[in-house]
Amino acid sequence: MPKILTNIILLFQISLFQFLFSNIKPITNLQEHQPDVFALIHAKVQLNPVDIIEDATIIIRGSRIEAVGNDIQIPRDAFEIDLTDKTVYPGFIDSWFEYAQPDSLQNHNSHWNSKVHPEFNSGNSPEISKKQLNEFYLNGITAVHIVPNKGIFRGESAVRLLNSNQQNIENSPTQVLAFETFGWGADEYPGSLLGTIALLRQTFYDVLWYKRAKTAYKSNPQQNEPIRRNLSLESIQSHLDNNGKFIFRTGDEIATLRAFNIAEEFGLNFWIKSNGYEYRRLNEFKKKNSFFVLPLHFQPKPKVSNPQDALSYSTTKLKHWIMAPKNPAILDSAKIPFSFTVDGIKKKSDFRKNLINIVQKHGLLKQTALKALTIHPAKKLGLENQLGQISEGFLANLIITSGDYFDKKSKVESVWVAGEEHKLAIDNSTHFNGAWTFIGFEKTGELIFSKKGGSLYLDEISIPLKNINYSRHQISFTASLDTINLNGVSQFIGNIEKNKLIGSVLLSNGNTAKWNAIRNDFEINDRKPIKLNDFSMPILYPEGAYGLEKLHQQPKIVLVKNATIWTSGEKGILENTDLLVRNGLIHNIAPNITPPENAIVINARGKHISPGLIDCHSHSATSAINEGTQSVTSEVRIRDVLDSDDIAIYRELAGGLTIANILHGSANAIGGQNAVIKLRWGQSPESLLYKNAPQGIKFALGENVKQSNWGDEYTTRYPQTRMGVEQVIRNAFDRAIEYQKQWQIYNQKIIQKAQIDKIPPRRDLELDALVEILKGIRKIHCHSYRQDEILMLSRIADDYGFTIGTFQHVLEGYKVADRIAEHGAGASTFSDWWAYKFEVIDAIPYNGALMHDVGITVSFNSDSDELARRMNLESAKAVKYGGISEEEALKFVTINPAIQLGIDEWVGSLEIGKEADFVIWSGHPLSTMSKCEQTWIDGTQYFSIDEDLKLRERDKKYRSEIIQYILSDSKPTTEYLKPDTEHSHKEHGCLEGVGK
Amino acid sequence: MKIIILFIISILISSDQIPAPEQSQPILLKNGILHTISNGTVQGPDILFNNGKIIAIGHGIEITKDTQIMDISGKHIYPGLISAGSSLGLQEVNAVRATRDYAETGSINSNVRANVSYNPDSELIPVTRSNGILLAHVIPKSGRIPGISSVMMLDGWTWEDCTLKHPIAMNMNWPSMELNLNSWNKKSHKDQIEERDMALDEINNLFNSARAYNKLDQTSPEFKSNPRLEALSQVISGKLLLIIKANTVKQIESAVYWSVKQNIKIAILGGRDSWRATELLKEKNIPVIYESVLSVPARRFEDYDQPYKTPKLLFDAGVRFCITNSTSPFQTPHLRDLPYHASMATAFGLDAEEAIKSITLSTAEILGIDINVGSLETGKDATLFISNGDILDIRSNVEQAFINGKEIDMSDRHKMLYKKYTEKYIQKGILLNE
Repeated sequence: MPKILTNIILLFQISLFQFLFSNIKPITNLQEHQPDVFALIHAKVQLNPVDIIEDATIIIRGSRIEAVGNDIQIPRDAFEIDLTDKTVYPGFIDSWFEYAQPDSLQNHNSHWNSKVHPEFNSGNSPEISKKQLNEFYLNGITAVHIVPNKGIFRGESAVRLLNSNQQNIENSPTQVLAFETFGWGADEYPGSLLGTIALLRQTFYDVLWYKRAKTAYKSNPQQNEPIRRNLSLESIQSHLDNNGKFIFRTGDEIATLRAFNIAEEFGLNFWIKSNGYEYRRLNEFKKKNSFFVLPLHFQPKPKVSNPQDALSYSTTKLKHWIMAPKNPAILDSAKIPFSFTVDGIKKKSDFRKNLINIVQKHGLLKQTALKALTIHPAKKLGLENQLGQISEGFLANLIITSGDYFDKKSKVESVWVAGEEHKLAIDNSTHFNGAWTFIGFEKTGELIFSKKGGSLYLDEISIPLKNINYSRHQISFTASLDTINLNGVSQFIGNIEKNKLIGSVLLSNGNTAKWNAIRNDFEINDRKPIKLNDFSMPILYPEGAYGLEKLHQQPKIVLVKNATIWTSGEKGILENTDLLVRNGLIHNIAPNITPPENAIVINARGKHISPGLIDCHSHSATSAINEGTQSVTSEVRIRDVLDSDDIAIYRELAGGLTIANILHGSANAIGGQNAVIKLRWGQSPESLLYKNAPQGIKFALGENVKQSNWGDEYTTRYPQTRMGVEQVIRNAFDRAIEYQKQWQIYNQKIIQKAQIDKIPPRRDLELDALVEILKGIRKIHCHSYRQDEILMLSRIADDYGFTIGTFQHVLEGYKVADRIAEHGAGASTFSDWWAYKFEVIDAIPYNGALMHDVGITVSFNSDSDELARRMNLESAKAVKYGGISEEEALKFVTINPAIQLGIDEWVGSLEIGKEADFVIWSGHPLSTMSKCEQTWIDGTQYFSIDEDLKLRERDKKYRSEIIQYILSDSKPTTEYLKPDTEHSHKEHGCLEGVGK
Repeated sequence: MKIIILFIISILISSDQIPAPEQSQPILLKNGILHTISNGTVQGPDILFNNGKIIAIGHGIEITKDTQIMDISGKHIYPGLISAGSSLGLQEVNAVRATRDYAETGSINSNVRANVSYNPDSELIPVTRSNGILLAHVIPKSGRIPGISSVMMLDGWTWEDCTLKHPIAMNMNWPSMELNLNSWNKKSHKDQIEERDMALDEINNLFNSARAYNKLDQTSPEFKSNPRLEALSQVISGKLLLIIKANTVKQIESAVYWSVKQNIKIAILGGRDSWRATELLKEKNIPVIYESVLSVPARRFEDYDQPYKTPKLLFDAGVRFCITNSTSPFQTPHLRDLPYHASMATAFGLDAEEAIKSITLSTAEILGIDINVGSLETGKDATLFISNGDILDIRSNVEQAFINGKEIDMSDRHKMLYKKYTEKYIQKGILLNE
């Protein structure tokens, strides 16, 4: 580049610098302008993650780098600093530094929810303390991305230089989001992940509406009520208008997938602040073209040395301990860009230690590590022309080290931030530690100093050194030299001169002698290097026991021969019959089908086949169940919180279950939207959803809704009586009708292309769901017990003109079976539960049979991860109590729940054209002596007892290998990894006391 | 007058179940399939009982004139099933605090007795016996030592009538040996370990105190009584079984080694991990009351059928065991499902004869009531029932039960409500009166 051009650019940049850092405060004493031009000479310079130059010069002028290279003329006004033997790196960036936001962030123009404060700007966040600054410097960090630490919409982040001004160089690069809740039992919304996600979605819809509403108001102020100003919505809107980024703090890989769903719905430019679980669903993440901020915070070692203690850790958790440090390299191999953060590390110096560890032992390339600390975050934060490289015009953010940053023996000696040098305290012992050749007392020996102490070897005898003291240039110590016939304690002093120690010793007799020592080339290691076992194990879907190495593949043709087939359809029970499946669908059911070419043939002689069992009331495979903070939460959706890793899925498959209706809990009158899933073990949460199923929603009545069994302090939420429950529901539908009208008027105008002078209606996710009920496209599944409330809801449905999908539990359904039948609702009940709370004192096991006899479509459900493993046996109770025929009884867990869920066109019975969801039983499916041997979904085998045995063997082997690996890590530890409780982290379900 | 009497009778018909009168005549059951438990399952021999006791089993038994003969061809006869642990009679509707009587406050309640609070009119009792469960081991819950348990017969006017045997056992909940790491638990690991050690020390102190108390001269004017220690004396002297609730392998081992050191006779209740400690349990001859075959595996990495197959593993290892429902109060209304816990164990390997034994004779032996009940043997109580099929199969139903030879009212709340509402639909013409 011609010199003149360079100068012009420089001029421009300097003026920019003055703009940034000019001081508006008057000088009250003498001006103290220090020299601000520096020449760092003879340095090894890592210009960027790729390029290194030796014996280079860096010229710093003011806050910026004026020049860097090998043949740089040193300006006359420069202060020279000799960096011979030193290495210079571009200053690192911490991509996620959380600071404590004030407790109260609300004002009269804020969002109604106290966890939504996107307008909060981190630019004004408090100064970072001296202590913290020093911790950052020790790791080489010179700039931080500061983020707020509270709420769901937390506010805007900022980028701050760690110089003495703590200058913010970028305001609002991102809006920070997190899945935060008030927790179970809270009275403030959201109490669960369900509500959090709904609130995120509703807020984005509100932003879209707010913008249109403001426009409408401005053009027609006389026709409209003024809109209340909302700073929160305005701030999100302007962020969106500027194509601003959103960064989402997530807990694990499933939470990250949830964040992506939201990002996709609203077309957001999205990054993830992750927790280091990406390796588990790498393929899902590859597609997303996102950016991850990764922790370097690793959990303490599991306590597995006692095999009984080891039992408290799931294989999943143990394996994660091994995989966590490998995660960055795995992401890199998938070409997913990322940066790092100190966040989560207790002892901040562990940041560099952990980083070195994953570079040395877990396959992360130095170059990638450097990118993650420099150019990646710089680019993402819009600072790629200022930070992350040592280059002309960039901010003079540098790290000076005594050697390779990724060698733990090297020290970070100083950091430069925007042209300011911050020297770091040096541990004086490091100048002396090591081995020296000792010459003194007319002998030659060896002198060794280490962290643990020191010793002098003379005549092959080791003499311990005591009272070792270090200063910058001098070492002093004492020793008893009896072995060379010098009695008493001798006092040594040594001064360092390059690689030599020039010393004197005061002997016990008062005489002085001279000694010196020359540094040896080899190093002393305090500790033996830790040698870990090799670890190579495939990723499983999901991780841990019974996970799959490869997702199940659907075979083209499957023929099951010679079975007794319980069709649950018109053909009844067929003996000695074959079942032919093509491409996941039932192609034929007939005796003696000739096997087509390439068919997988299963001989099922003596065995029984039933349709895949369907559970019409389940809380498996979900991370949250109840949004219990409000009486109406129809905006929340189970589909948002599905947990595809729940081991219940595998265990239920082993009991012949193929479809489950995952319901919101019964903590409130109008709960959340359901998700009908197929138990496709190994797949991602989205892939569990059964796409053919009509939408549904959970309602609830009775004790749980009125908080009867929640404890003495829950006495104020409306409603507290069954009378109030009715009113809440009627009021909700009235609101929905009003809302529907607003939209009808608005849409009419759009169609007629009429002028719209009114503010458009606001999309309300809660009312949307209720309108769908009114339109008959969303089925109500209503938790209910007593006859009065069943009758009540059926009358509401009549009044508002829709039909209830199912009454759930419906334990007094037998008392008003005629009314349920007349209304046309299904009844999904427990086979024989009763007396666990007052409203079920009249529950009887004949309920199912009696309702069936009166003409209701009846199913038995589980509401339990345990019961869901043996639904066939539950159906046998319809034979025992009430004398239902065996064929009809099995329908209680096959076609009947399919009818109730509106999916009987595709599943629930074995008939030609339907989806091939079926179970092979060792014997009669209603017999307690029979076992489920194989479970098929969509013509694909998801469970077989043979495969299960293989998985057990494999998992036993894997678990031992994992434990062996952990045991091979001899690094001492004082703290241990927390075991997982094994019982899922779920909130309450539906049964006992608290709103299950 | 007549009208009034009729009125009373009609009340009686629609009333609650009435406890049966004492057996007034010998009863002979003919041609049944006899599940003796102690001597296999046999088709055909007759069984005769009188005055509440089985007096003969065999072909061509000589009978007196007044003997009532019941031909039960094709039907099954079993000894009454025994629930090995629940709070039946001590609770009605668990969610309603006023109806709970199984958990006394405080940690050491060695002196409280289950049977004195047993409510013979609980609606749960007839429902339970309708499926052949005729005896229930009723245990207090909560605290370190919840109290003394009793075996109750599920028919009678008062708790005294119903008590088959008391005391059965002292009950104890072994301290949790695992660290509780739920996020809501704010206690540090160190505190938890200290707490656990303290709990173990407390147990030792308690039993040592009881030993010392036992040696006191109760006739001395200086003597001051202590009901809690007093109640433990029978345990220390080996006269009373100590049932220790322990589920994890750490708890089980800890409890067993403690009992050996203390020289106390114990049984393990719960026993979820008992299959991991079979050698020890066999060597020390400690029986397991295995709770809830119908449950999910305790750990994510365990076999999906682990709880189903544990009884088979115990059997193969030679550990004495019986099977019971979950002792959680939530399950008390569902004790009638006891045979299906046993049958699930059968589907997963346990021999069917062993399965039925594990809910009858094995239970009786472990609880020390096998001299009276648990099998069909001459001299034992005529506590038995007739079913129309294999009781391990859900589709079978119990037709008639006898407790101490008394012919039990087989009605229950559920049958009555079923009948009542069937009547509704008959009245409305929806169902036909058959």
